[in-house]
Amino acid sequence: MYWVASGFLFQRVDSIIQRLDPRVRLSLSLMLFILALISDSAIKITITMLTIISLALISNIAKRMARTTLFSATFAILIFLINLLLDYGLITSLVLALRFIAIITSTSFFFLTTSPDELECVMKWFRLPQDIIFAFVTAVRFVPVLMMDALQIMDAQRSRGLELDKGRFYKRIKNLIPILVPLVISAVIRSSELAEAMEVRAYGATKKPTSLYVLKMSNKDKFVMIMSIILFIPTIYLYLFAC
Amino acid sequence: MITFESVTYTYPNGITALREINLQINDGEMVAIVGGNGAGKTTLIRHINGLLKPSIGRVLVDGLDTRSASVAQLSRKVGIVFQNPDHQLFSENVEDEIKFGLKNFGFPEDIINKRVNWSLKFFDLEEYRKLSPLMLSGGEKKRLCLAAVLAWDPKILILDEPTVGQDFIQKERLSQIIKMLLTQGKTVIIVSHDIEFIWPLQPRMIIMSAGRIIADSPSELIFNNISLIKEAHLIKPQLVELYERLRVKPNKPFPNVYEARVWLMNKIRGR
Repeated sequence: MYWVASGFLFQRVDSIIQRLDPRVRLSLSLMLFILALISDSAIKITITMLTIISLALISNIAKRMARTTLFSATFAILIFLINLLLDYGLITSLVLALRFIAIITSTSFFFLTTSPDELECVMKWFRLPQDIIFAFVTAVRFVPVLMMDALQIMDAQRSRGLELDKGRFYKRIKNLIPILVPLVISAVIRSSELAEAMEVRAYGATKKPTSLYVLKMSNKDKFVMIMSIILFIPTIYLYLFAC
Repeated sequence: MITFESVTYTYPNGITALREINLQINDGEMVAIVGGNGAGKTTLIRHINGLLKPSIGRVLVDGLDTRSASVAQLSRKVGIVFQNPDHQLFSENVEDEIKFGLKNFGFPEDIINKRVNWSLKFFDLEEYRKLSPLMLSGGEKKRLCLAAVLAWDPKILILDEPTVGQDFIQKERLSQIIKMLLTQGKTVIIVSHDIEFIWPLQPRMIIMSAGRIIADSPSELIFNNISLIKEAHLIKPQLVELYERLRVKPNKPFPNVYEARVWLMNKIRGR
């Protein structure tokens, strides 16, 4: 569990991809997402998956991506089994399951390579309201913290004799109450403390606060952006009409 | 008895938190584990009730190998009171919170009621019996966590940073409870940075640094070793500091201020 949870912690890694402007990474992620969405054959999904894996390897996030995909893999297996039972055939069921994984990994590519600060900058660039940006970025920052909290709570309750992996389905669900209640409470306490800390540091004092980080597209960023679009358009055409 | 046999533990992210730990804690012993942040103290205690299993070596609790025993099985013998009470309180009221562990361990209803009554009385929580645990103050929450663990009468009690958020009176009270548990023959292990709290209890002190045990001896001997104190990021207790500044060396360490006062007064009168 710790292994999975630590996958959600943002780690700054130095790679060609991470050095790109976050808007370029967002566009790459969106392109991968669209490709995953329209991959309806074995060849297409193989190409899409290979592209995602290569980009993950270049950006040094392959291990962390594997960890975060572990949960979605459970759903992918479910999708595969349901489709198999509904007589869609082995290949189609496999394509659908892989497509689900490709959709998840294409979006996690952006979040695993982008720090919350960069995410905030991108959202500001889209001129979203400051409060929404703050709430969203804080939520992103809170995910790994909450996961770590959940692990500590599980340890505390297991030390009091709670056996999470024993008993029938109903009992297992009931056993989650001692985990979920402290988790929700600690999240509420944490958020109210954060709100107070933000207020005492003059959050909201000015309508247009200055930003510590400012996005700037370099020539390298522009080159990657243009090249990716040049590659993306014919690929889309081939995916939709040629194969 | 707790035995660590050449225990090494590496977290899944590759960080080795314990290196070649060999340790034996006997029944009825009082042990304090100290050391700087990231020294491996919490990782060490999590091995005792099987929350963590050693990567190399083994941990035996009363002859039971923690690698093959379940956490529930070990927790019946080893009670851990974690640092943050908010991580475990969830019940509707204080009474149910104490009942939780007892029910998990399968105690009969009449015993559960007796133990709950004893715990509430002993920890001065009777007036809060039907109150939500979340309405209690920080100190009361901590007391409730201790009450909830002691209710099932574990043979070994582990306290992780028990003095955090406690006022002086509560610390004194906790100190008395620990002494009482020791007279009952229980093993008490404390993980703490609070040297002023640990010192009067005169425990066997285990000092950890970078996943290793760098010292293991009675507390009165530890504070004579200046280089060790520096390495472990410790600060001398105020009484030890006072003896040193007055350039007096008691023939036996006086663990608390009351005994030290009598000794010092006699010394002054003698002059």
